[in-house]
Amino acid sequence: MSATIPTTATPTFTPRVRRMTLKRRRQLAGVVFALPAIALVVGFIGIPIGQAIYYSFTQWNGLTSTWIGTSTWTQAFHNTNLWTALRNNGLLLLSVPFALAIPLCIAVLLHQRVAGWRIFRSIYFLPTAISWVVLGLVAERFFAYQGTLNSIIHALGFSHVSTNMLGYESEALIALGITFVFTMIGTNTMLFLTGLATLDPSLEEAARIDGAGRWRIFRSITLPHLRRFIQLAFVMTVIALFSALFSLIFVMTGGGPGYATTTMEFLIYETGFNQGDFGTAALYGLILFVITGIVGVVQLRLIGSNE
Amino acid sequence: MPPKRQRKIGRWILFGSMMVVAVIMLYPFWIMIITSLKSESQFLSGGGFSWLSWSTLTSVIPIGQEVLSSTIVCSSSILIILCVGLPAGFAFSKLRFRMSTVVFLVIVSAMMVPLQAILMPEFVNVTKLGLTGGYFGAILVYAALGTPFSVFLFSTYFRGVPDELIEAGIVDGLGYFGVTWRLIVPIAVPAIATVTVLQFIQIWDDLLVGLLFIQNTSERPITVGLAVLSAGRTTSIPALMAGSIVSAVPAMVVYLGFQRYLVKGLTMGIDR
Amino acid sequence: MAEITFDGVTKIFGDDIRAVDELSLHVDDGEFMVLVGPSGCGKTTALRMLAGLEDITSGSLSIGGTVVNNVLPKDRDVAMVFQNYALYPHMTVAQNMGFALKIRGQSKAEVAKKVGEAAAILRLTEYLDRRPKALSGGQRQRVAMGRAIVRSPQAFLMDEPLSNLDAQLRVEMRLEIARIQRLLGVATVYVTHDQIEAMTMGDRVAVMRGGRLQQCDTPQDLYDHPRNEFVAGFMGSPPMNLLRVGLEANADGIALVLGSQRLDVPTSYCSSHDLPTVDGPGVVFGIRPEDVEVLDASSSDSIMTRVERREALGAEILVHLSLVDAEGDNAVIVNDSGAFVARPTRLVAKMGPRSGVAVGDQIQVRLNREHFHFFDADSGLSLRRNQ
Repeated sequence: MSATIPTTATPTFTPRVRRMTLKRRRQLAGVVFALPAIALVVGFIGIPIGQAIYYSFTQWNGLTSTWIGTSTWTQAFHNTNLWTALRNNGLLLLSVPFALAIPLCIAVLLHQRVAGWRIFRSIYFLPTAISWVVLGLVAERFFAYQGTLNSIIHALGFSHVSTNMLGYESEALIALGITFVFTMIGTNTMLFLTGLATLDPSLEEAARIDGAGRWRIFRSITLPHLRRFIQLAFVMTVIALFSALFSLIFVMTGGGPGYATTTMEFLIYETGFNQGDFGTAALYGLILFVITGIVGVVQLRLIGSNE
Repeated sequence: MPPKRQRKIGRWILFGSMMVVAVIMLYPFWIMIITSLKSESQFLSGGGFSWLSWSTLTSVIPIGQEVLSSTIVCSSSILIILCVGLPAGFAFSKLRFRMSTVVFLVIVSAMMVPLQAILMPEFVNVTKLGLTGGYFGAILVYAALGTPFSVFLFSTYFRGVPDELIEAGIVDGLGYFGVTWRLIVPIAVPAIATVTVLQFIQIWDDLLVGLLFIQNTSERPITVGLAVLSAGRTTSIPALMAGSIVSAVPAMVVYLGFQRYLVKGLTMGIDR
Repeated sequence: MAEITFDGVTKIFGDDIRAVDELSLHVDDGEFMVLVGPSGCGKTTALRMLAGLEDITSGSLSIGGTVVNNVLPKDRDVAMVFQNYALYPHMTVAQNMGFALKIRGQSKAEVAKKVGEAAAILRLTEYLDRRPKALSGGQRQRVAMGRAIVRSPQAFLMDEPLSNLDAQLRVEMRLEIARIQRLLGVATVYVTHDQIEAMTMGDRVAVMRGGRLQQCDTPQDLYDHPRNEFVAGFMGSPPMNLLRVGLEANADGIALVLGSQRLDVPTSYCSSHDLPTVDGPGVVFGIRPEDVEVLDASSSDSIMTRVERREALGAEILVHLSLVDAEGDNAVIVNDSGAFVARPTRLVAKMGPRSGVAVGDQIQVRLNREHFHFFDADSGLSLRRNQ
């Protein structure tokens, strides 16, 4: 068979010698490609952190700032609102176990692969796609005096009992907690379900052959495997508790009654925009940052390297 | 009881409990639908059925406008997040340069910063830059908040791309920009979809940024519109519920359409 | 002219890892040069330096007479076939093959023509519209080759292209690649760890180890006249038998000390080789398995051995023999600084498929006197003169 592709035997081979080696080109490309991201993050996240630190030492109304040193700090720590907010965040932390346990149960149920489980899965995750604002509005309807919860109670025959959860301090917090757990069910269920899916079924089978009962299997095989997922869900839930709760509070209670349902994330907004005290709000922001930072460090320790 | 029957009963109990959970999860939708299908007077008095709230929706809430605003803000932010995050993710995973690991860690740890922590300075900065009239300020803030996650996801995804592929492109004659555009972007489609879905839900449903960074009431996104009206406590509740449904639909459609990418995206950090 | 010259090329990774150490090698235009060696020997690094994917730490590399140390891969006009093929997953076979041409601005018609020709040579014409994931391993490998051929480059670089194929496909593709290379007449540098590929495909073979070039010769020369112990043991399967033995003087000249037995060394070797002194540190003696002949009865130059193991390969039988003393014990050969270390020393011999030896048998073998190899006991270098 004759050669149908002529080898282009160039009489002289003179390649261009460029100034940059391949390695340099790669590095240059790397820097250029990463630059926009770096700029965005530094400009809109990094710099504000620095500014927050600076302005926390000042009396600031957004336009002018006067340095008053650590008195902002001392004032803030004497402010009962701060402690109320921190206390509220702390109390709400009690809802986290529920926000983990319930999705875990649901995920286990889904994992059994009953007929139509995929449809169930879509349904369970549907509320996650909805804005917390909308969920808050619905929750407000649910817990209100003329709301759905009371309708149910009346329908069940307890017509003399009526709640007005959002009107009472401690009960409002509980209502908030319940709503929070509800909103987290979707994401955490999905997370745990994926975790269960990555579990090697042959482990379970081996245990069953060894004679282990269902509960035993769950405790000794399933749970340990899910450890990483549970830790991730824990961190995500706590972070949501400290930031995403804002929408729920805004819509359900406005922080009230009084400051009963004001958490850190809402306090910052309230102090800065309702009271105009930017300096103190910046300080609160820093405190929030430190708290989430601690959670982040704890996460890295527990889960190990994220890479 | 013979074991087979036992198992069958077990299955039914399982199915039953799942139905119960489904009912609970769908309950908010039920409330929304039921409440919206009343007129205001019917709602206050307690009973009745009416399309009135829906037909007069646009006069109570500037729905069309707000949905448009949400769409503009969402799509612009996501566009920026993708255009910034994909190249950066590629750079950090394949184009090693000095200190790239450190910079990468810094960017990824920025994921942990909640907006409220930097809210005040952010607000002041954006205002001073004159970006609060109009969408641009909010878009930039959303983009900045979504970039760390986007960079993280893309870099994790690209780490699975074999180096040989890139080298083949180089020996064939491409420069690094060509490699990114012709080889990397086409195979990054699943990652792009994941980032898009997750960020869409995040941004479309967000309240705080839209509330503070978009000053013109006519440019409000839908979540802000609903929240503000609800706080006013003078709005017709059925209308509010109707508006909520309108707000919820796009996010749900996006979620249902891209379900499989969502699962992949949520767990991409874990398996590694 | 697309000859390739490595001149003292060295590659150092980090502070002190010498992946390639002073490599000097010349590939003629149209020659098929194989770089072979165990993992980590530097062959792939050398290839990558040739492609331009790795910087050269020192030394100079030329293609077609021009130094290309600082020339980008795309300007070197070389085409590379990767170990895992590196096909673009989102493109069809035709697009994969035509890609390099397309980005160089060639017309659609030109590209289609060249792709068609290459596809015909590689029998890929019916797959042109498929995506890589719809192809088998062998087909993907051919597409990878097609991608290289289409460019009509100055040189082909191939990085273990057959290692991911199953054995039968590998044999088939060996012939294919060799045929195509001869057809196109393009200088080719081929990296592999498989010495059979090296022997059957290369015009010349360069054996590398630890970053250094051990020997570069035609396959037959490498086989018949290995320059050191490593090359001797690397090329050929099963490997050459290498025994460290002492030398003794006897009436006719020199003999090898094989335990209690003696093997005469033909006097011709004393002039063709620089054999060490008698009663000195000894020498490494090499003899290939096919040069160990099993006899029915003893003869004057035979050695007594015992069969330790037997491997039936169908076309031949390999027997692992240990040298025995007169009493039938395993021979002690190795002498480590005065202390005798008892180590049964094995000789591997090839036998015809129907030989009836069994484990435990004591048999006589004769070593082919024409094919003795001698290597220095310390350096491993061949003791042959006039190389």
